[in-house]
Amino acid sequence: MYNLRLSPEQLEIRDTVREFVTREVKPVLLKADRLDVADRRLPMHLLEEASRLGLRTLALSEDNGGIGADALTSCIVAEELAAGDADIAAVLTETSRLAHLIFDRALPQAERDRLLPKFLADDGAHLAFADREADTDTRLGVNYHRPDVTAPSLAATAVQAGNGDWVITATKTGVANAPVARAFAVTVKIAGRAGEGVLLVAADAPGVIVAPHAKAWPHGTSGDVTFADCRVPAGNLLADGSAALLRDAGGHGVPLAQAINLGIGRAAYEAAIGYAKLRVQGGRPIAEHQAIGTKLANIAIKLEVARATIWQAAWACDHPEAYADRSLTDLPLQTIAQVFTREAMLEAAKDAAEVFGAMGVMRDMPMQKYVHDARVCLHGSDSNRDARLRIAEALLGYRRPALAAAAE
Amino acid sequence: MDFALSNEQRDWQMTARKFADEEIRPISLARDAIPTARETFDWEIVKKGSKLGFRTLAVPKEYGGHGTDFVTQALVMAELARADSAMSKTFSQNWKWSHLISHACSDEQKARFLKPFVADDTFLLGKGISEPGAGSDNRLPPEDDPKSGLKLRAERKGDDWILNGEKCFIANAPVGKLFFIDARTDPSAPLRQGTTMFLVPRDTPGFRIGKVFNKSGWRFYQNGEMIFENARVPQANVVGQVNGAVRKAGGGGEDTTGGDIFGDLELCANALGICDDACQVAMRHARTVKQGGRYLFEQQIVQLHINKMYMLTEALRSFVLRVAWEHDKKIRSCNAGLAMNFSTDVVQQVTELYMDVRGVEGCSMDHHADKLARDAIIWSHLAGDSVQRMKVARRLS
Repeated sequence: MYNLRLSPEQLEIRDTVREFVTREVKPVLLKADRLDVADRRLPMHLLEEASRLGLRTLALSEDNGGIGADALTSCIVAEELAAGDADIAAVLTETSRLAHLIFDRALPQAERDRLLPKFLADDGAHLAFADREADTDTRLGVNYHRPDVTAPSLAATAVQAGNGDWVITATKTGVANAPVARAFAVTVKIAGRAGEGVLLVAADAPGVIVAPHAKAWPHGTSGDVTFADCRVPAGNLLADGSAALLRDAGGHGVPLAQAINLGIGRAAYEAAIGYAKLRVQGGRPIAEHQAIGTKLANIAIKLEVARATIWQAAWACDHPEAYADRSLTDLPLQTIAQVFTREAMLEAAKDAAEVFGAMGVMRDMPMQKYVHDARVCLHGSDSNRDARLRIAEALLGYRRPALAAAAE
Repeated sequence: MDFALSNEQRDWQMTARKFADEEIRPISLARDAIPTARETFDWEIVKKGSKLGFRTLAVPKEYGGHGTDFVTQALVMAELARADSAMSKTFSQNWKWSHLISHACSDEQKARFLKPFVADDTFLLGKGISEPGAGSDNRLPPEDDPKSGLKLRAERKGDDWILNGEKCFIANAPVGKLFFIDARTDPSAPLRQGTTMFLVPRDTPGFRIGKVFNKSGWRFYQNGEMIFENARVPQANVVGQVNGAVRKAGGGGEDTTGGDIFGDLELCANALGICDDACQVAMRHARTVKQGGRYLFEQQIVQLHINKMYMLTEALRSFVLRVAWEHDKKIRSCNAGLAMNFSTDVVQQVTELYMDVRGVEGCSMDHHADKLARDAIIWSHLAGDSVQRMKVARRLS
C-alpha cells in the first residue's frame, strides 16, 4: 500500500535533525562571513557533530553499527540538513550512501571486519567514490536513442602482484568528498577480466594524492585523485557489479541529491515567509499583499509537488515489489524528480529572493546563496537536457547496451 | 516605418562597440572576481570612457555634452553592456541624472553643476531615494498609509536646509560627486506632496557614505549607504519647488509618460546587451565544443535553446528601439515600463539558457556564464518585481 504516513522513528529523526540544524548549523552558517558563495569553507566541527548524531552512518545497517535508515528516511534527513547548509548535506549523504553500499553490500566479510571499526570510530571519516575520468562526461546528447559506440572505457587499471595485492594506476577527477575522505572506492579495469572492478583504497595508502578543488561548482567538497602504483590487499576488491551499484545510474536510485535541492528551496521559502510577515510596505506586512502572497503560494506549491515526487521515488527504492505488481510506473522516478525539482527550486529561490528586494542580492545575506545553490543543482553533473533524453528513452522502451559491452 | 540608423547613431554604436571590445571586456571578469565590494571599481575605465563621451552622452550640446537622442543612448548602453553590464550602468547612471539636471534644474543650477560635471572625467552622479524602511513605498505610495515612504528629514534654517536620516542601496554613492536627494519637507503630507529634491555635493558638511554593499551581481557598479547628520544644504540647491512633486529623470516639463522615462529604457537596453553577449557566446560554444566527437550544435535541444535565446533577444531589441524612438518622438505611452518588465524575464531566461547550453565542465562553471546569470538577477528587484509591474499597469489604466 502506498503510504506516506511517516513512522514514529522517521518523525523523531526528522525532528532531531531539524533541531540540530536550527541550534547548531544555522547560527554558524547564516553569519555574513559564511554566506559568500565564492569563499565556502567546510565546517568540519559541524560534520563531526552530525556524525555523533549518526548522520554520517545513517544508511549503514544497524548490524554494521549504523542507523539503518531506509531511502525515504535518508531523503527526509537530506532535506533537513540542506535546509541548513547544502555543503554539509552533500558530504554527509555521500558518506552515508557509500557506507551502506560498501559495508553492507559490496565488501567481503573479512575486510569489513577489518576496516569497519576504524570507520565507525572516527567522526571525521568520510568516504568517496573515485570513478569519473577526464573527457568521460555523459554523451547522451549525441547518442540519444543510439548505442554509444565511441564510449571510452576506463583508463584506470589494476593488476595483481605476485602476493595477490592489487596495484592501481588511476587518475580520477571531480571526486566528491575527496578532500575529507579516509577511503576511496576506485573503479578500474582489471587486466584479463570483463567489465569494471571496484577497489577500496585507504586515503593514506602510499601513492594516493588528493588535489582539492579550490572553487568547485558542486556542493560539498571535491578534488582530483591520483593513484600512482598504489597497492591494496587482495580482499579490497568489492563484489562483482559494484561499479553499477555505486554509480546509481538508471534513474531508479535514492533521490538524495533531489532532497538536498528541495532543502535549499525550503530554506529560501522559510526566509521569505519570515521576512514577508515582518516587512511592512504599503501599510501592512508585505505577505498580506496579493502580489507577495501569490509568490509565496507558488513557492509552497513547488516545494510540495517536488517533495511528493521525491518521496515517491524514495518509497519506490524501499518497495521494489511495487514495480513488480504494477503499483508504480516503470519509469525512472528519480530522474523525473530530478528534472522537476531542479527547475522548480531555482524558480522558488528566485521568487523568494525577490521578496527581499535589494537584500536578495547581497553577499552577506542568505538569499543570494540559496539562488546560487539552486543553480548549482540545476546545472549539476548530469544536465536536465540529458535527463529528459533518458526519460524519453525509457518512455520508448529503448534499452541502452551496457557501456562495458560496447567498449569490449 | 524605417528601422535604419542615422550615420551619427551608427557612429556612436561603433565607437561603443570598439571601446567595449578593446577596453571593457578584457577587464570585466577580473573586476567581477574581486571579493571586496569597494575594490571592484576602476577609475581608469571611467576616465577612458569619459574621454570618448560615454559619461556625458545625454548632456545637451549647449552645456558641452553630446546631446544624443534616446535611440543613440539605447544603442550605446546595449553595446557597453555586451562587454560588462555593470560598467555600462556606471556610465548610463550619469545620463539618467544629467537628464534630470537638464529638465528639472534652474539655469543657475545647470551652470553651477553641469559645467563641472562635463569638465571632470571622474565626476559621477547619483540619486538617493531608498531608505531602510522605504523601498516599494517610494515607488508605489499606498493611498491608505500617507505617512509611509522615505523618512529623511529636511528642515529649513535660515538660507539652509538641515538634512537628517539615511539612504540605502544608492547607486554610485561611494564614487559620486553630486547627488539628488529626496527628503521629506512636510512630514504630515503624503510622499508626493511632502517631498523636496535637493542637490547635495559629496563634500557637504554632515554628509558621509557608510557601508558599500557587496552584491552578487553587477559587482563593478558601486552601491552604498548615505548618512546625513545635520547635513547643511543651501536653499539654492532645492530642485524645483519645495514640496514639489517628485520629479523623474528625463521627465520634467516635457514628460511624455508620467514616469521615469530614461530609467526604464536604461534597464531594458542594458539587458539587451547581456542577451547579445549570451547569444554570441552560446553560438560560439555550441559550434566549437564537441561532445562524443560531435559539435554540441548538432544536438536538437541545443539548437532549440539557441533559437529561444535569439528569439527573445531580437524581440527585446525591437521593443527597446521602439521605446527609444517613441521617446525621441515624444510619443506618450507606457511602453518603456513594459519593456523594462519584459527585459527582466528575457535577460533571466536567456542567461539561464546559456548556462544550460554550457553545462558544468568537470567541477566548475564557466565564470562568464555565472557572471551573466548573477548580473541578470539584479533585474528582479529593479525592473521586474511586482511593484514595478503593477506601477505600469496603473499607468496603463
